[in-house]
Amino acid sequence: MEELKKKLKVQIIEALNLQDTRPEDILDNAPLFGEGLGLDSIDSLELMVLLERSYQIKVEDPREGRKILQSVQSMAEFIQSKQPA
Amino acid sequence: MAERVYITGMGMITAIGDDVAGNLQSLRSKQSGLGFTSHLDTIYKEKLPVAEVKYTTLQLSEIAGVAGIDGYTRTTLLGLIAMREALAQAGITDVQQEPTAFINASTVGGMCDTENVYFDIVNPDKTGDFLKFIDTLDCADCTQRIADTIGITEHIATISTACSSSANALMYGARLIKAGLTRRVICGGTEALTRFTLNGFNSLKNIDKHPCRPFDNQRNGLNLGEGAAYMVLESESLVKENNSVVLAELSGYANTNEAFHPTSPSPDGDGAYAAMKDALAMSGRTIADVQYVNVHGTATLTNDVSEGKALQRLFGETVPKFSSTKPFTGHTLAAAGAIEAIYSVLAIRHQLVFPNLNFTERMEELYVAPETQLLEGYPIQHVISNSFGFGGNNASLVISNYEG
Amino acid sequence: MKGKCYIQGMAAISPQQTFEGDLSAQPIVISSSNMLSCVEPDYRAFIPGNSLRRMSRILKMGLTAALKALQDSGIETPGAIVTGTGKGSLQDTERFIKEIRDYNEQALNPTPFIQSTYNAVNGLIALQQKCTQYNNTFVHRGFSFENALLDSMLLLHEGKTDVLAGAFEEITTEHFYIKSRIGQWKSENISNDTLYQHFSPGTISGEGAAFFLLSSTSTNKTYAELAGLKMLYKPSLEKLDTALQTFLKQQGVQPEEIDLVLTGRNADINYERYYHVLDTRLGNIPQLPFKHLCGEYDTAGAFALWLGAQLLKTQQLPVQWFPMLQSPPAKLRNLLIYNNFFGEQHVFMLLKAI
Repeated sequence: MEELKKKLKVQIIEALNLQDTRPEDILDNAPLFGEGLGLDSIDSLELMVLLERSYQIKVEDPREGRKILQSVQSMAEFIQSKQPA
Repeated sequence: MAERVYITGMGMITAIGDDVAGNLQSLRSKQSGLGFTSHLDTIYKEKLPVAEVKYTTLQLSEIAGVAGIDGYTRTTLLGLIAMREALAQAGITDVQQEPTAFINASTVGGMCDTENVYFDIVNPDKTGDFLKFIDTLDCADCTQRIADTIGITEHIATISTACSSSANALMYGARLIKAGLTRRVICGGTEALTRFTLNGFNSLKNIDKHPCRPFDNQRNGLNLGEGAAYMVLESESLVKENNSVVLAELSGYANTNEAFHPTSPSPDGDGAYAAMKDALAMSGRTIADVQYVNVHGTATLTNDVSEGKALQRLFGETVPKFSSTKPFTGHTLAAAGAIEAIYSVLAIRHQLVFPNLNFTERMEELYVAPETQLLEGYPIQHVISNSFGFGGNNASLVISNYEG
Repeated sequence: MKGKCYIQGMAAISPQQTFEGDLSAQPIVISSSNMLSCVEPDYRAFIPGNSLRRMSRILKMGLTAALKALQDSGIETPGAIVTGTGKGSLQDTERFIKEIRDYNEQALNPTPFIQSTYNAVNGLIALQQKCTQYNNTFVHRGFSFENALLDSMLLLHEGKTDVLAGAFEEITTEHFYIKSRIGQWKSENISNDTLYQHFSPGTISGEGAAFFLLSSTSTNKTYAELAGLKMLYKPSLEKLDTALQTFLKQQGVQPEEIDLVLTGRNADINYERYYHVLDTRLGNIPQLPFKHLCGEYDTAGAFALWLGAQLLKTQQLPVQWFPMLQSPPAKLRNLLIYNNFFGEQHVFMLLKAI
């Protein structure tokens, strides 16, 4: 789980081109959208692309996506729940 | 005193009809044009419904009267067919008789044909027939080919403001007339289905796998469509001089911007509200004079909330009949504004309110719901037609009955 | 159409050092390939980092030129935004076409699609400056910018104030190659400062972004008056000649009252004949070409307007940019611009000094 979160932070920074952000700046539970990193709905679509391309997880419903993409923690939990045990 | 602007000709082709009469018939018989594509090469062939014009590109070239001539993209051919009908209806046999301007609209130009040969075009090892499509990718190509084919040599332009493109083309044309720069201008837009736009909207996750449900609580996105539509606009003085038959008046229009988000409208519909309000003010009418609104109504989550809120803000407790005709035609992007402007004229001339198909449940955010039935003999004098797009571009037109 | 049109502020990003400061101090930027690329400014001074991270090159160029023109005019929120671009964001269009293929239409990133939309730059300007009024984008090759200008003049005539008009265009190596397949560029590589010594089929490609804040009243900040604009679609040589005479007559300007003609001459032997019309009709008027500075592109007319307005305001020619110049005109009052785009779209503009 810790490894996954670390990897996710690096991937998020790369996918969204967050040039001035370092992985350690992103707290596990900090909201990614709005107040937190200041991401918007296009970023959320890009993060869904990230999930699909890197983890083969398809999020069909944007409303569901919003819940999954709340934080690095929620993303990691979701990814883990989708992976074969 | 600026001249009034009259509509003296209309032509169109969509998934529900090859001409204006065909479109009217399908609207009346609730015949949707949505189905699966037979012409587009995509993995979504049997997954995402689209409203496709049923002819192959080759067949379109025959209908358009240019069979065997190179370089006509599907976009151009659809446009040319609609253009020929518009000219015929306006009784124009020679566009040179009166200096005629042409304001076209397109979102992706000849992408429909170039996307199939693009990787050959960029490959130095390949050569062949595809080279004739090199110069068709940009939006001016379809405009110029249509102009050249029918002999327009005066002012031409192409507008691209996403989904409001052809509404803006009509507006620009009307303004050229009012400023005295031309007495006649043909305005509208053309759009062919492409893998590019289908995947684009799909990447935004706003394409419904089912036929779209505008203004429904369960709506889940739009369906794309293709088609073309043009209107002949003439100044009052030219109409008098020629004794032209007037179909309706383009009495008001407005263009506003959301300045909210690259692809989403503001939740309270600020831009849509301002566009409708300004267009109505320009037409010299009040909210009580509007009997029908042909809404943009794409059935995306955000558009319908925003547009519905704007309707409620503008009309309060007395929102007139409104419906989205996108379940018939799909969202035809650059052509949508002109197609729906023609439907607005038809609503006035035939005293009809078109049904909003696929609606069952009112949206929780709104107290209004669209008209789901075909209303015949409904007294309509003034219609607002809305077109809203990416980049926050909003356009509203007011079309009024011609009182002679 | 009544009413005046004054340039109250402007900015250009081009293959030359046009973005900052005094032109007379800037040497000509020379490129030895046939593809001129812009000298790009530091965008971070204009666009917040959080917005910048997603933007492709032409979006940054267009938005920054627009913001700088606003800054130059002292107007924060314009009354309307009207632009022209022939090709929009080529980089994003190319990227999305490739992603569709590479990822087999699945898991596509929406950003290149959004940014490939021709009105994306307009939307960004409106968004950043909170401009909720009129907004339009023209996409018609060599008439893109000129229709944006005409629309702006209509808006001023209709009573709008402070209209922001502009154009933006980029060239990519891929698109350069595509257009080389239909002979748009010279087959031999030349240095742009020697362009006019290479009369042959084709020209050199370019790109740029230029924006103007237009107003119906002049102030002491005014660069120049845009007194007239005429577009001609595929005219014959005779029609072009007649139109030039009519244009000048309508503006109330005698040919000999023109002090300088900026011409779109681009050493392309295929379209040189149109410029001969100018040579014959305005034989004694000094001419200066500008395409060696910016290259050929759909909206090069915007560069010409920027250059013309700059010359009229400063009354100074950056002589180092014009090695072909024999004797600079003593005074610049009336400046004519003539340009055509591969022989199809022809444009006259008349600029007057204040």
